[in-house]
Amino acid sequence: MNLTGESKFFIGIILATVAIIIGGVFFMSKPEKLLEKSELIPAGSQIKGNSEASDYLVEFSDFQCPACGAFYPQVKSLVNANKDKLSLSYRHFPLDQHKMAVPAALAAEAAAEQGKFWEMHDYIFENQAGLSEEMLLSAGEKLGLDKAKYEEAYKNKKYQEKVSKDLADGKRFSVNATPTFFLNGKKLNPVNFDDLKRSVEEELKKN
Amino acid sequence: MARTAKTVVYNRIVFVFSLIGLVIAAYVTQSFLRQTSIVCLNSGCEIVRKSPMSYPLGIPVPAVGLAGYAFLSVLAFLRTTSSKRNLIPLILGMSAFGVVFVSWFTYTELFVIKAICTWCAVSAVNMLVIFTISLLMYKEAKK
Repeated sequence: MNLTGESKFFIGIILATVAIIIGGVFFMSKPEKLLEKSELIPAGSQIKGNSEASDYLVEFSDFQCPACGAFYPQVKSLVNANKDKLSLSYRHFPLDQHKMAVPAALAAEAAAEQGKFWEMHDYIFENQAGLSEEMLLSAGEKLGLDKAKYEEAYKNKKYQEKVSKDLADGKRFSVNATPTFFLNGKKLNPVNFDDLKRSVEEELKKN
Repeated sequence: MARTAKTVVYNRIVFVFSLIGLVIAAYVTQSFLRQTSIVCLNSGCEIVRKSPMSYPLGIPVPAVGLAGYAFLSVLAFLRTTSSKRNLIPLILGMSAFGVVFVSWFTYTELFVIKAICTWCAVSAVNMLVIFTISLLMYKEAKK
């Protein structure tokens, strides 16, 4: 092979490209940093399933977001089907454009004070289309909560700080859409529920 | 076919664009093979990556791109080593196949998968540029 000046010029470009690829491989082969369980599920978090389970799913969600509403029944059945070996933590990530998202989060936390977070969570998602102030107030009664106590906590925004902390944590963990799921500290990018289910089932099989 | 100043410049462009395509295809292929998420401008890359349509005959689409761009890079490089080799029609043929392939996949993305992967779109434009330059190079060499 007769290497001309042009060939040497091309070889120079090839070497530069190889250097870029090696740099890229090195950069991408660094293991992904997993978030600590204690950061994702701080004390006082709402947990369903087996809180002692080694596999844990954390959902950052917004009660008014349609996609969260669509994921809700499927996530619920996934957790119920694996309730002994999986935990689900619900964390608030109310989006600005959803005006009822914060009130709904405050209502759920007010219900949590009486041990009925998940009942309120389910009720809100099941009646998401009619989400309003009145609906949240009447929900207390429907779920058999101590009305005065519930309304006091809800109206006085007793758990605003907790909701705000969840939102701030979500932003810190690069959550930018809802629902966002973390499985065993790793952020998932599910395109639909089946994709999420597959990731969870694969992880459960490992243990 | 003669090696004119213009064909030399065209060959350089084909070579550089083939390498750009090669790097993009390498990045996307490794994401397909390692099942890791692709850094993308939208959510399209993930939807496309997870679609069975992105694995015709079990081969990940970016792997086809990787092979195509690698072949084009080699052809463009070989053209610098000897003016006797009649490589221009081969480059044109390969890039024409590339354009057909990216057109088919862009169609599949739009109408079957219903999502657009940014990297695939960049690669499609890249392949179109290579084909156009190859065509100009072919015409120039025939003069």
